[in-house]
Amino acid sequence: MIPGAIVFEFPKDFFGGLWVTVQISALGLAGALIIGTGIALLRVSPLRPLRWIGAAYVEFFRNTPLVVQLFFLFLGLPLIGFRFASDTFDNIFRAACVGMALYHGAYVAEIVRGGLLGVDKGQIEAARSLGLSYVQMLRFVQLPQTFRSIVPPLGNIAIALVKNTSLASTIGVADLLFGAEVVESRTFRAEEGFGAATVLYLFLTGPLGFAVNALERRMLIAR
Amino acid sequence: MFADPAIWRFFGEGIRETLLISVVAVAVSFVAGLLLALGRLSTRRWIRWPSIAWIESIRALPVLLLIVYFGIKGSSLFRPIFGPDFDLPRFWAGVLGLSMYTSAVLAEIIRAGILSLPRGQTEAARALGLSHPQTLRHVILPQALRLMVPAMMAQLTTVIKDTSLVGTIGVFELLRQGRTIYTQFFNPIEVLLIVAFIYFVICFVLSQLSRRLELGRAPRLARIKIQEVQLRDQAA
Repeated sequence: MIPGAIVFEFPKDFFGGLWVTVQISALGLAGALIIGTGIALLRVSPLRPLRWIGAAYVEFFRNTPLVVQLFFLFLGLPLIGFRFASDTFDNIFRAACVGMALYHGAYVAEIVRGGLLGVDKGQIEAARSLGLSYVQMLRFVQLPQTFRSIVPPLGNIAIALVKNTSLASTIGVADLLFGAEVVESRTFRAEEGFGAATVLYLFLTGPLGFAVNALERRMLIAR
Repeated sequence: MFADPAIWRFFGEGIRETLLISVVAVAVSFVAGLLLALGRLSTRRWIRWPSIAWIESIRALPVLLLIVYFGIKGSSLFRPIFGPDFDLPRFWAGVLGLSMYTSAVLAEIIRAGILSLPRGQTEAARALGLSHPQTLRHVILPQALRLMVPAMMAQLTTVIKDTSLVGTIGVFELLRQGRTIYTQFFNPIEVLLIVAFIYFVICFVLSQLSRRLELGRAPRLARIKIQEVQLRDQAA
C-alpha cells in the first residue's frame, strides 16, 4: 500500500473537491475584498450614520459563527423567497461563496480601515486643498497608499479563508473535506483519506503562509 | 412556541454545553500551547524543529478537519490504551479537535509574548545564578503570560465561535440545539436569528473586555505579531 495512493483511487472526490475549494476561496476572497473596502470607507466616512452602519456590520459578522451565517443563507433565505440559483447544488455553492465574502469582509474592513487611518493626514489635507473632491482624494491619494501597506494582513485573511471554506461541507458543498468524508464512509480508511486531505490543504495554505511570512519580515524591517 | 419555557431551557442547555466545551478546550490548549511554545524556543534542535513543524502544519489546517477526524476515529485511537470497548465521549472528541488547533495558535501567541521581553531580564536572572528552568519559571513566564491575558481572552471568543462546529460530530451545543428546534417547528429563520444573537452577545462582551484590558500593555512588536497570528488563525 503506497501512502497517498487513495487520492488516485478516488480522484473525483479529492481533486474535484480541491477544485471546488479553490473556486470558493477565490470567489469568496474577491467578494470579501470588495465588501471589506466598502465597509471600511463607511467606517471612515465623515457622516456619523454611515460610520454606525459600518461598525454594526463589522461587529455582527465578526461575533457570530460562520456556520450560523451559512445555515441562514442556505436554509433561511429560500423561506423568505430568495434563492441564489434555482438549482439546489448551484444554490448551496453560491450561498457558500456569499457566506465567505460576508464573514471575511468584516475582517478585511478592519484591516483596510487601519490602513486608511494610517495614511498621513497631511496627504489628505494637501489633496483637498489642491481642489480634489473627497471621492477623487480617496481614489488617487488615500486608497493607493492604503493597499500597499495592507498586503501582508490581507494574506493572512486569505489563508484563514481557504481554511474556512471547509465549513461549506456542513451545508453540503462537495469540497475537499466533504470528499475526504465521502471516501472515509466508503472505505473506512480514515487515516489515508484525511491524511490525503491534510496534504492537499497544506498544498494550498503552505505556499501562501511562506509568502506572507516573507512579506511580513520585509515590512517589519521597513517599519 | 417561543412562549414555551421548555424551548428556552433547551437553548440554555446548548449555551451551557458551548461555554463548557470552550472553557475546557482553552484550558487544555493553554497547557499544550505553553509546552509547544517552550519547545519552539528551545536551544536543542531535536526539540525545536519538531515543534516548529507541528505548530506550522496544524495552523495550516482547517479546524473542522481535525474535529471530524477525531469524531470518526477518536474512539479507536484510544482503544490500545483503554481496552477494546472504549468509546470516546463526543464531548471529548470535540475538545480534542478544538484544542489540537487552538494549542498551536496559543503557542504562537505565548512565544510572541516571551520574545517581546527585554533580553536583560534573562541575562540578569542567569547572572544571578538561576538555572534556565528557574529563569523561565520565576522571571520570564510570569511576565510574558501576564502580557498575554488580553490576547488569550480574544482567542476564547474564537474558540466559542468554533464550538459551533462540534455540533457536526454530535455534541449538543447551542447551534445543534437550535437545529433540533427548527427541524421540529420548521422555523429556521427565527431560531437561527436567536442563536446568532446569543453567540453575538457572548462574543461581543468578551471581545470588548479584552480590548479594554489591552490598552497599551504589550510592546508594539508583540502586538503586531499577535494580531497577525490571530488574523490567520481566526477560524469560524
